[in-house]
Amino acid sequence: MTAGAVEARPSHVPQSELRSGIGYWLASLASMMRFDYGRVRQWVPMMIVIQTLMGAGMALLYGFFYPHVTAIRALYITTGAPTLALIPVGFVMLPGTVAEQKLEGTFDYIWSLPSPRSAQAASTFTLFTLFALPGSVLALLVAAWRYDVHLALSPLLVPAVLLCALMAITVGYGMALAIASPMVTNVVTNALVFVVLLFSPIVYPASQLPAWLASVHYFLPFYNMAVVIRAGLTTGIVAHVATSFVVLAAWTAAGAAATAWVVGRRR
Amino acid sequence: MTEAPAAILVPHGTVARGPRHWLHAYAVMVRWHLASLRLWLVVLTIVQLLAGVGFVLGIALFFSHIPTTAALFVSTGVPVINLLTVGMILGPQLVADQRSNGSYEYLRSMPVSRSVSAMAWYTVCLLGGVPAVVVALVVAQLRYDLPLHVSPMIVPAVLLTSFAGTMLGYALGHAISSPMATRMVTQLLVFVVFGFAPVLYPLSQMPRWLGAVNWWLPFRHMAVVTRAALTPGAHAAVLSGYVVLGVWAIVCAALAGRALGRRP
Repeated sequence: MTAGAVEARPSHVPQSELRSGIGYWLASLASMMRFDYGRVRQWVPMMIVIQTLMGAGMALLYGFFYPHVTAIRALYITTGAPTLALIPVGFVMLPGTVAEQKLEGTFDYIWSLPSPRSAQAASTFTLFTLFALPGSVLALLVAAWRYDVHLALSPLLVPAVLLCALMAITVGYGMALAIASPMVTNVVTNALVFVVLLFSPIVYPASQLPAWLASVHYFLPFYNMAVVIRAGLTTGIVAHVATSFVVLAAWTAAGAAATAWVVGRRR
Repeated sequence: MTEAPAAILVPHGTVARGPRHWLHAYAVMVRWHLASLRLWLVVLTIVQLLAGVGFVLGIALFFSHIPTTAALFVSTGVPVINLLTVGMILGPQLVADQRSNGSYEYLRSMPVSRSVSAMAWYTVCLLGGVPAVVVALVVAQLRYDLPLHVSPMIVPAVLLTSFAGTMLGYALGHAISSPMATRMVTQLLVFVVFGFAPVLYPLSQMPRWLGAVNWWLPFRHMAVVTRAALTPGAHAAVLSGYVVLGVWAIVCAALAGRALGRRP
């Protein structure tokens, strides 16, 4: 090597510079998915078992709190169960994983890889959506069997579940990125789950809430998740489904914007 | 202190036995825990208060009009959960963290006997649980106007419930060496205590076989003895509750003791 060549390309610049283009983006997504899956592979069976147990468990345990599970209560619990199963993946597991990556330093390592950060985020979204779905389906099946509820499935269910999963994961990821301290992330996610499991009209009608709390929930994602999924499972029990879709889409956009803002910033 | 030179000469130190040394070591260990966990304990107390009060108030949302029985069961069950939170759920996770960051071996090298360690930790768990119990009960009384009647039996009930829970957590934390497994087991326990044990709702509302399974687990009995001390009237199954809890506490303490080994 001549001295001039060394000057033109200093040795600390990686040979594979960041490239762009849709082909490169897709190739990056594929390798990031392989990378992410490889990292969690040993925990995947356990994660899926815990997910399904939690989903099915939640469907059952809400029934224990009632002296008599009336038909309408059974319907609410059954159609709320898939929503409940989706929430922990997006709002607890994903932020928890990111917090752990930050502690271990893996997070910085991933950012240093020569793949577009949007591809890295997309890979996480895809994997966690896949993790979330089995628990959700099983929660529904267990609840329907336990409470002997007849459901009227509509094609609306597919976009509803996908949007809910995407929303939970986008918002959870945006939150995990936007909050710098892993400790704070941990406290926030645990508090969130508590609020969601008790104070959100997911397994019971919103009419049982005090008026002010109900109106807060019209703007939060949890009630709206329950509405769109319930709309895909029943007929005539929920109204204003379109509004709920809009609110969920807005939350997804907000989560994506937070992700994009953090990801696009240079440190 | 006569044993100080020995502690300097022998790398690991030896433990001075006898009631006077025991009490001294106990006081030092309690202070040690309180000092090292001071920030954690403040956060914990706030979280405990919010969770306890939140659960007492939140359960009303499940019903259009909450029946008094449901309110009474939740309000007398939440104290049990408050008592279990530190010793059984956070304690093992704390030990798991200590194993991950290396302070576990350091703590075990301290020249105190394992009974001192256990009792000091139990005291800290009680201190972390009791304030939330009181506040949750007061809020429940104000919100639902419940027929509560606190009898002197609340003292042994609280002490034994906390002791059995703490010892169970102690055994989990020290006998399971993998931090990841400890976290999984404690999360499973939270789930069981909240949803699959008759703590927050009557036994009659769960399937009969699940109630039978629960007879062998400690949580049902914790709820029975605590509830009996908080509500008027005679209660069956209190005596057997104390017996089962006592057996759990002893077995778990023995397991933890075996895992820890005798301090030379």
